[in-house]
Amino acid sequence: MSVLKAARELGIVFFPAFDWAISPTHPERQERLLYTQDQLREEGVFDIPGIDEYKPDVAGMSDVDRVHFCFPDTEGVASPSHLVSAGGAIRAGRLVMEKKAARAFAMVRPPGHHAMKCVHGARGFCNINIEAVMIERLREQYGPLRVAVVDTDCHHGDGTQDVYWHDPDTLFISLHQDGRTLYPGTGFAHELGGPGALGTTVNVPLPPGTSDEGFLYVAEHLIRPLLDEFKPDLVVNSAGQDNHFSDPITDMAFSAQGYAKLTDIVGADIAVLEGGYAIQGALPYVNLGIVLAMAGLDYSHVREPGFDPERVRQGNMITEYVKRLCEDVRKLAKNPPRQQRGGEMVGEWFVRRKTLYYDTDHITEYQTESLLVCPDCPGVLKIESESSRTPLCLGVQIPIRACPRCHAEGIRAYEQGQLKGKYRVIRLIDRKDRQYLRYMG
Amino acid sequence: MGARIRHGPVSKDETTKAPGLVPFVTARPDGRRLGERMLLGIDVGGTHTDAVLVGRDGIVAMAKIRTNQDNLLASVKDALESIVSVAGPEGITRLNLSTTLSTNAIVEGATEPVGVFVSAGPGIDPELYRVGDHYFTAPGCIDHRGAETAPLDEAAVARGIEACREAGVGVFAAVSKFSTRNPVHENRIKELVHARAEYVAMGHEFSGRLGFSRRINTAYYNSAVWRLFNRFADAVQKSVFSLGLRPQIGVLKADGGTMPLSASRLSPVQSILSGPAASVMGIIAICDIREDAVILDIGGTTTDMAVFAESSPLIEREGIAISGRPTLVRALRVKSIGVGGDSAIRVTPQGVTVGPRRLGPSMAFGGGHPTLVDALNVQNVIAFGDVAASYRGMAALAEGTGHDPETLADFAIASAVNRIREEVAGFVREINDRPVYTISEMLEGRRIAPAKVYVMGGPALALSGLLQDAFSQEVVVPENFAVANAVGAALARPTFSVELFADTARGGMVIPSLGVHREVGPDYDLPQAEAEASGKLREYLRFIKAGDQEAPVETVERSSFNMVEDATFTGRNIRVVCQVRPGVLPQYREAVTCPC
Repeated sequence: MSVLKAARELGIVFFPAFDWAISPTHPERQERLLYTQDQLREEGVFDIPGIDEYKPDVAGMSDVDRVHFCFPDTEGVASPSHLVSAGGAIRAGRLVMEKKAARAFAMVRPPGHHAMKCVHGARGFCNINIEAVMIERLREQYGPLRVAVVDTDCHHGDGTQDVYWHDPDTLFISLHQDGRTLYPGTGFAHELGGPGALGTTVNVPLPPGTSDEGFLYVAEHLIRPLLDEFKPDLVVNSAGQDNHFSDPITDMAFSAQGYAKLTDIVGADIAVLEGGYAIQGALPYVNLGIVLAMAGLDYSHVREPGFDPERVRQGNMITEYVKRLCEDVRKLAKNPPRQQRGGEMVGEWFVRRKTLYYDTDHITEYQTESLLVCPDCPGVLKIESESSRTPLCLGVQIPIRACPRCHAEGIRAYEQGQLKGKYRVIRLIDRKDRQYLRYMG
Repeated sequence: MGARIRHGPVSKDETTKAPGLVPFVTARPDGRRLGERMLLGIDVGGTHTDAVLVGRDGIVAMAKIRTNQDNLLASVKDALESIVSVAGPEGITRLNLSTTLSTNAIVEGATEPVGVFVSAGPGIDPELYRVGDHYFTAPGCIDHRGAETAPLDEAAVARGIEACREAGVGVFAAVSKFSTRNPVHENRIKELVHARAEYVAMGHEFSGRLGFSRRINTAYYNSAVWRLFNRFADAVQKSVFSLGLRPQIGVLKADGGTMPLSASRLSPVQSILSGPAASVMGIIAICDIREDAVILDIGGTTTDMAVFAESSPLIEREGIAISGRPTLVRALRVKSIGVGGDSAIRVTPQGVTVGPRRLGPSMAFGGGHPTLVDALNVQNVIAFGDVAASYRGMAALAEGTGHDPETLADFAIASAVNRIREEVAGFVREINDRPVYTISEMLEGRRIAPAKVYVMGGPALALSGLLQDAFSQEVVVPENFAVANAVGAALARPTFSVELFADTARGGMVIPSLGVHREVGPDYDLPQAEAEASGKLREYLRFIKAGDQEAPVETVERSSFNMVEDATFTGRNIRVVCQVRPGVLPQYREAVTCPC
């Protein structure tokens, strides 16, 4: 009889999209999860009692419109591949909420964490933010949930950060290679959240060459305490694997063993694959480690062939740097400075201007974001956005916990926007009344 | 159309264990045509051994004998002699045999000790896949591309061989991870044990599919029953010959297909769990099933369900499990639930339940606890065995519940029927919800929608009315299901699956289950691979004398992935799976088809 049995029921939604690619030689291509599937099947992961494989859901346009302002339209950015990828994340979320599994892992592509609140096209291989689409679908169904998103992808999860910048009920923590050395160039320790959500965004920019020791130190001494204090109902791990020592487009030195241990410490309920492009030498082993760790099984024998810990060990300088960084970030997260950077108060509104570049689609976007700073609720959000492709558009979001004043203000902004006549498209996300409207000018 | 089949003095209830059941044989009164080619199917089951001889115009002869559990060979001989005695040896061109020999040996632990040599490398600890008492792991690793990333530690293998020598182990299994990409470590282990071995099974020979622990189990079980099965095969061949029969002999597999006896000698593990498949194939032939359908077999302890879709029964994707261990042996996708004729009835606060426990035979047949069959007796749907005993048992159970025995029986029957209906619905949902890996399959994948439910087994007729009420599909109970298993065996045709794997960057192509491998150049592409896989499969089928009409080849998986390194195309990673699906020989199908 099999002595192998998962200590925690794990549902795996595995969707490698074998018939889809951004382009034939792009890192995001059909081949990406091929060897991972081979490895997991050869290891017999799906035969282990307690580990089951599931088919993804297909997200609907309404799921996307609940989260994003897609300009000029949703159909242009959310193709079937993106809807299935988000659907994979949703299925994983449902498995946990419906108690069909204790934990779930959506190994899906394409990724999503570079997709921001406003979407004009593809950015960093991402079109829609698959974690946000999942989280908001669960909130729509199950009511207000406190959620923590721990983004351990090598790149700063700027999209997820943007989506949840003003949301005090979502704790966003991103661990990544320092933005001064890598795309997207953001994710610094002083980025701590909007005026209504201070301290619920936490960034840990790590130096190139950080290896297992550094990552695990951060996990134990920063992430774990932050999660324990925040007390989320759900922890979601954006589990990008491009921090692997063999990844071709980054400079970190993480290993499969290390990632398995990190997974253990973070203890996410739902993990969602993000980046990771060392598809032969890293992904098969890292994903095996994550699966075994989430299922509560022994992962001590998981290793890349020819792995030599000495060759990837981080130097003392990095070790010291990471320690100091954790202390600094901890202090900032506990006591975020009230004075906001990169924006100014205009009356009761906090206004930021942003310029965003969509590298995958070569679009530049110009945004003016305004938040009605409210003592009683997270506040209503207005975004005016135009890009090299699309004329000026307006998005208005009323949060779930909106107070009556902000709710009314949001409706007014939507109606006013139509009267002004200067917007090509206006979208309303009214989470309180669950209405999602679009107006074409 | 099919000849009328006469039944001998036996009830259709397969759960009957009435004493005094005599073996019987019938034959068609009119003579058969000279030179006719007839097919003989023998299914050695747990309780009975059934044999059927099928000619072009119908069933020529039948036999039903009690199985001698201690001597399956004797049962086979008896069945052969019975058929030959009424129908003569001439014209019997094919004999297909389904037996529980290997299954019983494995389940009862009556197998031979096997020296299992495993080389895995990192990943899940291979100790966790330990099977048998002589299991040795040796360092060594092949990666998913088939590259050797750590050499085989031959000294470790040698130590294991020595231990086996001391223990007197004579048969072996050699299995390495990813041997289906590169069998070099398995080949080397075989070379090293060869001098000591009467037989060595190598994992990659059984299938090109992935699944390390499945491969270990498959190779282990194969070696464990090799000697037993080969002795049986020898004896069967002798018996057949001595009776003047000269048929092609085939062995039935769990996927409802056959393999030649010669092939089964090397791969006896493929003969496990063939019984349910025989019945399913038989029903498909008798009822001439062509549309999506569910097939139920209500037995004594369990109800087994299978699905028919797109002109053949559905195959289990990964392979069947035996004794709790998964293998790579292809099988029909069958779901088994604990509701059967002998399932014990219980009264709980939530209501009346039937099964999953079986606490002995029905009270109508001397048991001590009321069963579904007893409930059917009490409700007057059937009259099997001692009906008064059924009533007494139900009355005793009803005491204190506030219900009379008839009502309790009614609840029990309803509970069983509802449970079956729910499980069938769940089974179809599971099948339709199976994981797929391409966007086009996600959006356009075909869903199975059974139009009919075919039911066989002892209580089938008795329950048919109620099942019809419970199901929205048409419920059909074929008249002749009692012979379905032997008919299925007789009419089954060869099946085989080949998995081809090619990596043009590494320059190699391999078809593990046929032992084919060769170098390929950078121009090797998917169309070439598909032609080669199907071509080799056809060659193999010709080799085992299965013609194109009997064994149509189809491609079920074809993919070619561009391998890219540093934004440069380096080669193609090609996977092709060709197979022959289970089916019934078309020329004889009409002979057995009856209006259902």
